[in-house]
Amino acid sequence: MSVATPAELDRRILAAIAAYALDDAAFFALARDLFAFQIVHDAPYGAFARSRGFGPGRLPERIDEIPAVPAAAFKEARLATFPRERTTAWFETSGTTRGTGGRHEFETLTLYEAAVLASFDRMMLPDAARLRYLNLVPDPRENPHSSLGHMMATVARERGDGADGWYLHGDALDAGAFLRDVARANADGVAVCIATTAFALVAVLDALGERHAGAPLPAGSRIMETGGFKGRTRVVERARLYGETAERFAVPVEAIVAEYGMTELSSQYFDDPASRGRIEPRVKAPPPWLRPIVVDGEGRPLPPGVVGAIRHVDLANRGSVLAIETEDLGALVEAGPGGPAGLLLLGREHGAELRGCSLDAETLLARRG
Amino acid sequence: MAERAAATGALRALPAARIASFLADAAERWSDADFAPRVRATEAIAARLGYSAPVVEYALDRLFLGITRDALEAAIASELGTLGALDGVVERRGAPAAWARGVDRAVIVSSETTIGVALAPALFALCAKCDVVVKDRGDALVAAFFATLAEEHPAFGAAARARVWTGGDDPSEDALLAGAGTLVAFGRDETLRAIRARGGTDTRFVGFGRRASIGFLARDEAAALDDRLAERIARDALLYDGEGCLSLHALFVEAEAEGAALARAARTLAAACERVAVEFPGGERPAAVAAQTASYRNLAAFRAAGGRGAVLRAGDATLVVDPPSDEPPPFLPRVLPIVPVSGDDAIAAYCAAQRLPVQAIGVVWPSPRAVALAERIGAVRVAPFGELQAPPLAGHHGGAPRIADFVRWIDRDA
Repeated sequence: MSVATPAELDRRILAAIAAYALDDAAFFALARDLFAFQIVHDAPYGAFARSRGFGPGRLPERIDEIPAVPAAAFKEARLATFPRERTTAWFETSGTTRGTGGRHEFETLTLYEAAVLASFDRMMLPDAARLRYLNLVPDPRENPHSSLGHMMATVARERGDGADGWYLHGDALDAGAFLRDVARANADGVAVCIATTAFALVAVLDALGERHAGAPLPAGSRIMETGGFKGRTRVVERARLYGETAERFAVPVEAIVAEYGMTELSSQYFDDPASRGRIEPRVKAPPPWLRPIVVDGEGRPLPPGVVGAIRHVDLANRGSVLAIETEDLGALVEAGPGGPAGLLLLGREHGAELRGCSLDAETLLARRG
Repeated sequence: MAERAAATGALRALPAARIASFLADAAERWSDADFAPRVRATEAIAARLGYSAPVVEYALDRLFLGITRDALEAAIASELGTLGALDGVVERRGAPAAWARGVDRAVIVSSETTIGVALAPALFALCAKCDVVVKDRGDALVAAFFATLAEEHPAFGAAARARVWTGGDDPSEDALLAGAGTLVAFGRDETLRAIRARGGTDTRFVGFGRRASIGFLARDEAAALDDRLAERIARDALLYDGEGCLSLHALFVEAEAEGAALARAARTLAAACERVAVEFPGGERPAAVAAQTASYRNLAAFRAAGGRGAVLRAGDATLVVDPPSDEPPPFLPRVLPIVPVSGDDAIAAYCAAQRLPVQAIGVVWPSPRAVALAERIGAVRVAPFGELQAPPLAGHHGGAPRIADFVRWIDRDA
């Protein structure tokens, strides 16, 4: 079996990104070649694949056969297809019950940034607007290893008007500076894109609520919300969050778009434009080089409409692992003509009824502070 | 107050020994798997918890077969000196004569428990002749048992009540909690804090928080592990899908991580789990739990592929050998981590590092060494494997007395 070179794989992946098109057969062919490359050059993934019965002599026959590493595996081993000394950037994953985080390392950010821009252009900038980016996400100058921060820095650099602002410093949100910059954008007549975590958005809405004020955005503005409320004690229902956001910022609900991504991936999902007219449920649409698979507890693929755990096969993860398994729940949504299946994201059953008196991981974490 | 007096008047007229007899008689009826109320309750419990029918039947057998007059009387006598202390003033050697008078009302809030956990405190509160109100689960097991009690003697019809209500939403809840003489609650830390805050100034609060149980195999025991012992360990791990505080959540084995002894013990346990899973099939799991379980299992498989530990599938159970020692047990259904340790010090260090609130330790034999380990790690019970999930009624409940919290002593000085 001959294994493709990194340059050859990158060229094919970049072509798919540039074309924003990849049919099922082409996707699988590329995924299989990428898998064959990764099990040779990424030793921990190769060992894991062999333990699942796959190797150079036996490649997956279907996309759902590609062994998927749990996202937490990035905290256990260095998952990279290149030597450590060639790492030029890395993004850090959050900690676990063991208190350790992980790294998603990159030899080059070419694929990552190409994937970010192509998706963002399609899903957030179909009008090719040059916006001002007001970012309620980590500032990459302070936190260079935040994938979300880097994503928005890339977008602001390539698609912004050069006057972007960053308002999240550590855990502190500078709501005052943010609101001043919203006012300035209004004065300048420049439409903005607010990139925000759900939690930061709540904090801004709280600040506006305390002032009994709104912060109307210039016409053509939009909001990209991401991250949910993971690890936060305060959770606000999406319907309420989006309703209040639309009201305070004077934007239509369809201008509020959720992004779903992970540090362990190089690509992102966005709310499908066709489902943005409502707040819920919205369908998460992947770009053509990213495919979701929903599986049951035994890893068997589930048909559209059935809830299970979400796996991602991300061809832009050329330098690490293409198939990632998560604990996020969702269901596939039938693909439209020629497009990949979308995803209904259900989170992790927040508030599900407890069934026993046993200690659980959540309680233990709370006790450990 | 008048309402409570009316509720318990008839019960207070009964000698405690007769109350214990009625309770035991009712339990005996419930020990029959064909007893109609039990059949209905079995279905309701299976529907609520998702456990398989054999698991529910086993739980009800263990629950009701354990409620005997001897067990009730032994627990009461060990705590109060004599059963008669509940009926009036009794002489006590070297101490003032005294009467263990039951508090007027005992309220038991059991919103997050498995099968019948609220029943034991309710029985002892009735022995103390309290007016008892239980917040029942949706399966109404306690209510159904109370109905049988009322058939045994009408006094229970007024004194023992079980209701289903939504915490914080029911307007009568405030008065009920504030007026309790003794308030027993089961639940998560924040649940217990909230309930405790709503008790009255004089309310005695008895909280049972969420806890975990562990097992320990000493070096020679691991070497001698046979199918019979392995099945007892497997039953402790698999019953109730690990959701009880007495479920086996982690098994510590005195062995080297890479050694043959650990591998052999794990294989023997896996085979036993497979057999036990046939007798006690696992229950339905929510998609979120299934996803977490798969993720934990696959992460262990990833580690194993890299040369660290092993994963053994056994029916619907998973055994993870040599998980990272700085990682807490997963608390997932039918997932048992097998942790190699050098000895008791390592177990104590693990529990301390993870701040693991240990309820019980399962062992081959409850030796002085096991009791010493329990004392070190804060556990409140040492039990032989196979009995971990069946605490005797005559024993303490989670380290607390069975009946002492339901009485106030009235001393008659000489």
